[in-house]
Amino acid sequence: MKKLITFTVNDMGYEVAVAPNKTLTQVLRDDLDLLGTKEGCGVGDCGACTVIMDGKPVNSCLVLAVQADGSTIKTIEGVARGDSLHPVQETFVEMGAIQCGFCTPGMVLSATSLLEKNPHPTEHEVREALSGNLCRCTGYQKIVEAVQEASRRMKG
Amino acid sequence: MLLLPKFDYEEPKSLPEALAMLSELKGNGKVIAGGTDLLVNMKKGTVKPAFLVSLRKVEGLREIGGENGGLAIGSHATISEIADSDRVGSMFPVLARSASCLGSPLIRNRATIGGNIVTARPAADLPPALIVLGAYVELKGKDANRTIPLDGFFTGPGTSVIESGEVLTRIILPSAPPFTGGDYIKIGHRAALEIAIVAAASRLTLDKPDGVIVDARVVLSAVAPTAVHAASAEKALIGQRPSEELFAKAAALAEGDCSPITDMRGGAEYRRDMVNTLVKRTLLKAFNDARDMKGGNA
Repeated sequence: MKKLITFTVNDMGYEVAVAPNKTLTQVLRDDLDLLGTKEGCGVGDCGACTVIMDGKPVNSCLVLAVQADGSTIKTIEGVARGDSLHPVQETFVEMGAIQCGFCTPGMVLSATSLLEKNPHPTEHEVREALSGNLCRCTGYQKIVEAVQEASRRMKG
Repeated sequence: MLLLPKFDYEEPKSLPEALAMLSELKGNGKVIAGGTDLLVNMKKGTVKPAFLVSLRKVEGLREIGGENGGLAIGSHATISEIADSDRVGSMFPVLARSASCLGSPLIRNRATIGGNIVTARPAADLPPALIVLGAYVELKGKDANRTIPLDGFFTGPGTSVIESGEVLTRIILPSAPPFTGGDYIKIGHRAALEIAIVAAASRLTLDKPDGVIVDARVVLSAVAPTAVHAASAEKALIGQRPSEELFAKAAALAEGDCSPITDMRGGAEYRRDMVNTLVKRTLLKAFNDARDMKGGNA
C-alpha cells in the first residue's frame, strides 16, 4: 500500500504517495523529475546517487522514500543559486574535473558538504570526504584539485 | 537498476508498539535501521522480509550518554555520530577508530551501531572494538528484557542469540579501569568501502604506569565465523611485564587462536601472518596509551 510522505527538496515542499519499496533515488527521478541524481551500482558502493539528507550526504539508493518522510533533501539541482554556480561547480568546470559527468553530481554534493563543515580541508581530508564517490573515468586528481581551489576561492 | 521486492512498512511511535508489532509478525517482520546492509541484501534477493518495521520515530534510540561512569549508546546512533562524538573519542578512542574504518562517509551517515551488531557479519568493524571494551547489549522483547555481554552474542556468520521479536536498544560500555589503552587496526585492499581482510582489537590494563599487565583482551575479526578472542595470547600477557618480546610471543600465539579461510579477499596463510602483525601493533599502541594515560582511556 502506498504511503503519503511530506518532505522538502531544494527548498520546495512536496507531498508524494510512494510505494514502500521505492528508494529515494527512484522518487527523486521518477516522481519529482530531478534527473541530476544518478543511480550507478544501487548498493551504496559508487556514490552516484548522493544527496544531502538533513545536512548529511547519503546514498539515496539505500534510503527508502518512506524513510525520507519529514526530511530536508538537497540534490544537485539545488546547489547553484539561480544562474550562478556554486564555487565547487565553477572549479569543476574550469579545472577539467568533469569527464563523462556521471559521478559529478555526487562528487559536487560530497564536496560542498565537506566545505560547509570544514572550509579549509587538507588534501587528505578532501580525499577522505570523497572516498564514497567513485569516478570510473578515474579523474580523481583534478577533482581533488578543484575542491581545494574552491576552498581557496570561498575564503574571500 | 536493482529493484526492491514488495513489502509493507510501518513506523510505530513507541517501543512497546514496535515490540507488539514484531511479536505479531512472528519472524515475517524485520527491523530496518540504517538499511545499508538490509536493503542491499533485499535488492540481491538474499533476504525477503514481508514487513519492515522502522524505529526512527521511537524516541531515545539515537542518544549517546553517560551511564555509571561509562557510556550508553542508542542502537540507532549512526556510525558517523559515533566516529565524530567527542565523548566517544575521549572515553573509548578504540570505538571511534573502528567506526571511522566502516564503509564510506556516505554509508557512515546512515549505518547504525545496532545494525553493525545484529547483522553479525564475521568482518564487521565495531564488534571487535566493542568486545575488547567489555560492551553489553540491551535486548528488549514484548514480554521480557535482558542485558547480556556482546562477548558470546554471535553464534556464526549472520547469526546471534537475538530472538525474533527482540530489539537491540542500547549498547552499554562500562568505564575503563585506570592505566588502560587499546587499539583497532583493519587491513583491506583500499582505505574506504572495504570489508576487512583481517582486523584486530586489543586492550591492555596495567596495575601502574610501569607495572604488570592485569587485564589483556585481544579480539580478531574476519579470521573465524565470528569475532574471536585470541585466548592463548591473552593468557600469555596477563601477569607479565610488558615488552616487545612479550607482545611478539602473544602475536605468534594469536595465529593459533583463529581459523581463517581462503576467499576472494585473501588467503588463509596471509590472514594468519597479518593476525601476527596486527596483534603486535595493537598491543604496542595499547601499552603506550595505557602507560601514558592516567586512566579511563581505552
